[in-house]
Amino acid sequence: MMPLLTLEAASRTYRTRHGLFGKPSDVRAVDRVSLEVAPGRTLGIVGESGCGKSTTGRLALGLETPDAGSVRFRNTAMPPQGSAEWPALRRHMQLVFQDPLGAMDRRLTIAAQIAEPLHIHNIGSPAERAERVAALLRDVGLRPDQAARHPHELSGGQRQRAVLARALATDPALLVCDEPISALDVSIQAQIVNMLADLQAARGIAILFISHDLKVIRQISHDIAVMYLGRVVERGDPDTIFAAPIHPYTKALVSAVPTPGPRRRERIVLTGEPPNPADRPTGCAFHPRCPAAMALCRAEDPPAVTLPDGREVACHLALTPDRIAA
Amino acid sequence: MSSTTAAAPPRLRRAIPLAVLVAIGWIAALLAIALFAEYLRPYGITQMDLRARLTPPIGFGGAWAHPLGSDELGRDVLSRLIVSIRISVTIAFGATVIAAVLGTSLGFLAAHFRGWVEQAVLMLIDFQASMPFLIIALAVLAFFGNSLPLFVGLMGFYGWERHARIARGLAIAANAQGYAAAVRQLGATPLRIYLRHVLPNIAATLIVAATLSFPEVVLLESGLSFLGLGVQPPMTSLGNMVGYGREYLTRAPWILLCPSITIVLTTLSVSLVGDWLRDRLDPTLQ
Amino acid sequence: MLRFFAIRLGRALLTIVLVVTFAFVVLRLSGDPAITIMSPEAPPEALAAFRQAWGLDQPIWIQYLRYFGAIFQGELGQSMRDGRPAIVLVAERIPATLALTIPAFLLKIGLGIPAGVYAALHRNSWTDRAVMAGAVAGFTVPSFVLGLILVLVFAVQLGWLPSGGQDSWRSAILPIITMALGGAGVLARFTRSAMLEVLGQPFIRTASAKGVPWPQVVRGHALPNAAIPTVTIVGFMVGSLIAGAVVVESVFSWPGVGRLLVVAVANRDLAVVQCILLAVASTMVISNLTVDLLYGVLDPRLRARTS
Repeated sequence: MMPLLTLEAASRTYRTRHGLFGKPSDVRAVDRVSLEVAPGRTLGIVGESGCGKSTTGRLALGLETPDAGSVRFRNTAMPPQGSAEWPALRRHMQLVFQDPLGAMDRRLTIAAQIAEPLHIHNIGSPAERAERVAALLRDVGLRPDQAARHPHELSGGQRQRAVLARALATDPALLVCDEPISALDVSIQAQIVNMLADLQAARGIAILFISHDLKVIRQISHDIAVMYLGRVVERGDPDTIFAAPIHPYTKALVSAVPTPGPRRRERIVLTGEPPNPADRPTGCAFHPRCPAAMALCRAEDPPAVTLPDGREVACHLALTPDRIAA
Repeated sequence: MSSTTAAAPPRLRRAIPLAVLVAIGWIAALLAIALFAEYLRPYGITQMDLRARLTPPIGFGGAWAHPLGSDELGRDVLSRLIVSIRISVTIAFGATVIAAVLGTSLGFLAAHFRGWVEQAVLMLIDFQASMPFLIIALAVLAFFGNSLPLFVGLMGFYGWERHARIARGLAIAANAQGYAAAVRQLGATPLRIYLRHVLPNIAATLIVAATLSFPEVVLLESGLSFLGLGVQPPMTSLGNMVGYGREYLTRAPWILLCPSITIVLTTLSVSLVGDWLRDRLDPTLQ
Repeated sequence: MLRFFAIRLGRALLTIVLVVTFAFVVLRLSGDPAITIMSPEAPPEALAAFRQAWGLDQPIWIQYLRYFGAIFQGELGQSMRDGRPAIVLVAERIPATLALTIPAFLLKIGLGIPAGVYAALHRNSWTDRAVMAGAVAGFTVPSFVLGLILVLVFAVQLGWLPSGGQDSWRSAILPIITMALGGAGVLARFTRSAMLEVLGQPFIRTASAKGVPWPQVVRGHALPNAAIPTVTIVGFMVGSLIAGAVVVESVFSWPGVGRLLVVAVANRDLAVVQCILLAVASTMVISNLTVDLLYGVLDPRLRARTS
């Protein structure tokens, strides 16, 4: 199937200065990331904070422009922000935020906010809009009487449902969910994840699901991409990755996910400094924390290679298969 | 910043202090006088009564014909005071609104475009804040001469930088995270974002800022009019009356004291209400 | 530290450039500068000479540059009224203005800062309330009203002091008091809040908790820290030594720069107005620059950050 969204070696670098006349230094937030999201499928991006997953989401939405590489939506290059096509494209791709309270205007009612994208894109008559809002509320599991409430009068889960309803108002083809449930209670997290899966099944939306929580990612994703310091280090089918992670970082993440029953794997605890994008190690960015680092890892950044089972790994170990077992 | 502006509806339930109530009463009375000046004034402001010149107010030997006394030409001080209040309040109000609109627009422009637009606005803010406004106003009046629209427009430049600073800061905060970014991402035009979302969310702060600059505009207007460089005769304003009454300081101090007391009570009342509003709505504002 | 000075100096120069630009734009918008500066009755050959000197026949940007050149050489035109150079006229009046503003400035500091410190140290006492009420009155009573009331009481009713003019040192008393009272109120209010903020800091509690006597805590810790913001506002007051006298000089018919400005505006004597505008801008900029530099010396944090 033709992918809906394609990132091809997309990079985003921020220039920061220390003080007004300080020496500028570059921070590579996203480094040559290649991803694909097919219609109706979910790609999960997982990684620690600062690994560039949110920036990847913003690149996918055209909220950031890549410095190198390309972002294509429906096989057309993403128009730059500020161009005439950009606002019109918004109705086809939407963002769901980590903080639903911050993402909503506290002065407007839930109904007014859900109707806002319809006003912006001039969809339907006033009566149709009202009908549409009522239907959306129903779809995300909110009661009709909650339409007249203000954001602060709802619970966190209800707010996230409202944000989701607003994102769905224009019937988008792509939904980017940036840590949509990490601010919620665990019991509510499951409800929202299930609802997302149901909505996806009913509407055929493609989802880019960003989270630091591999357990949630596994629940919802058809594909997984693991990011470390701006790079995708391993990408593929969730079952394959969970069964046999190749990249040492993925191994550590997978080993940390609690499993029911007796522990089957030894838990790998990462040592060393947590990654800092402003101070990137040489060679493979992961080598200072990698239990299997070799001399080559310090010197050379490993290229991404596709393995016979279809997954892509950026690790020198993957090129020397005899060492995987070790 | 956003947490303060977007705090749940302000709690106004706590008792309003007596001084603030009195101040609100005075402001309401002023507004009523300004609105209905034509019906309230007993005489025309240029109507002379040469038999009743320099009569003192009631309580100091005056009669009910001229409750606050009359001036050298026998003009009724109460009538002139009422009309002066109307003109001074109108000018101060108009100027405050102009400054608020101008400052907020420039602040939004700076926040929206960033880059050199923002630098230019910041430079203007620095410039405006570092020069005494009275001197700039006098220079403009000297170069362009005096007319009422020019005078109101000139007063409208007073205090714009305060609004610009606030609007810029709050708009940048809103853009960086939260509702404005969310709505932009929905595809909204900048106009919609700033007018429908950002402006209503920061309105409380802007209104407080306007309340704080209103008394300063009253003082500026009355000062310039006192110097004879503001509102020109035959029109009259509070500062104008003080300037005129100065000639009769020894013989008829009431001509000068009536408008002086009005100015002091007005600036005091608006400052009191402004401080109270600020404490209630936005304690972060300086 | 050097960079800090350079940035501040650059900003100061920029403000001067902006003021000159402002004067240039206003001047050009208001008509033919030759006539407005020289007066319409000036002899035609003088007008022609002026036009040539200022390059009024040149493109606008050359005029702009020449205007700068003229201003920095002190060629500010002649007064319309007596034909003398505007800069001389203004310079003559400066001593009279300083004779009011410097004593008023010292009085403001002498009254305002101790009152503010006292009010902060005795928070919510009746003295605190009195100081605050005085401070509010200080910026809600316009100076012309205060001045005229003082005249009414001390000159008219009591007859102790002259009501205006510049006959003896006694004439200066009422204008100085008028100027000082308003500024002292603002300063007291500001000092009080700066002091209260410092007194609320943890290091003050630490110092007094570890047994340092309270007067020593105030002298050694609170005052130096509250001094930093206070210096800023005092600096602004220095900047208005010339500008702050406009209204008060008019009330008391004091022949200073402020009075000159009002008369010049009323007569549209543009050369004089322009000259005063630039003089005020220069004092403002120089005093702001001094405050900024002083700030850098007073505040060790700033020093460390920028060196």
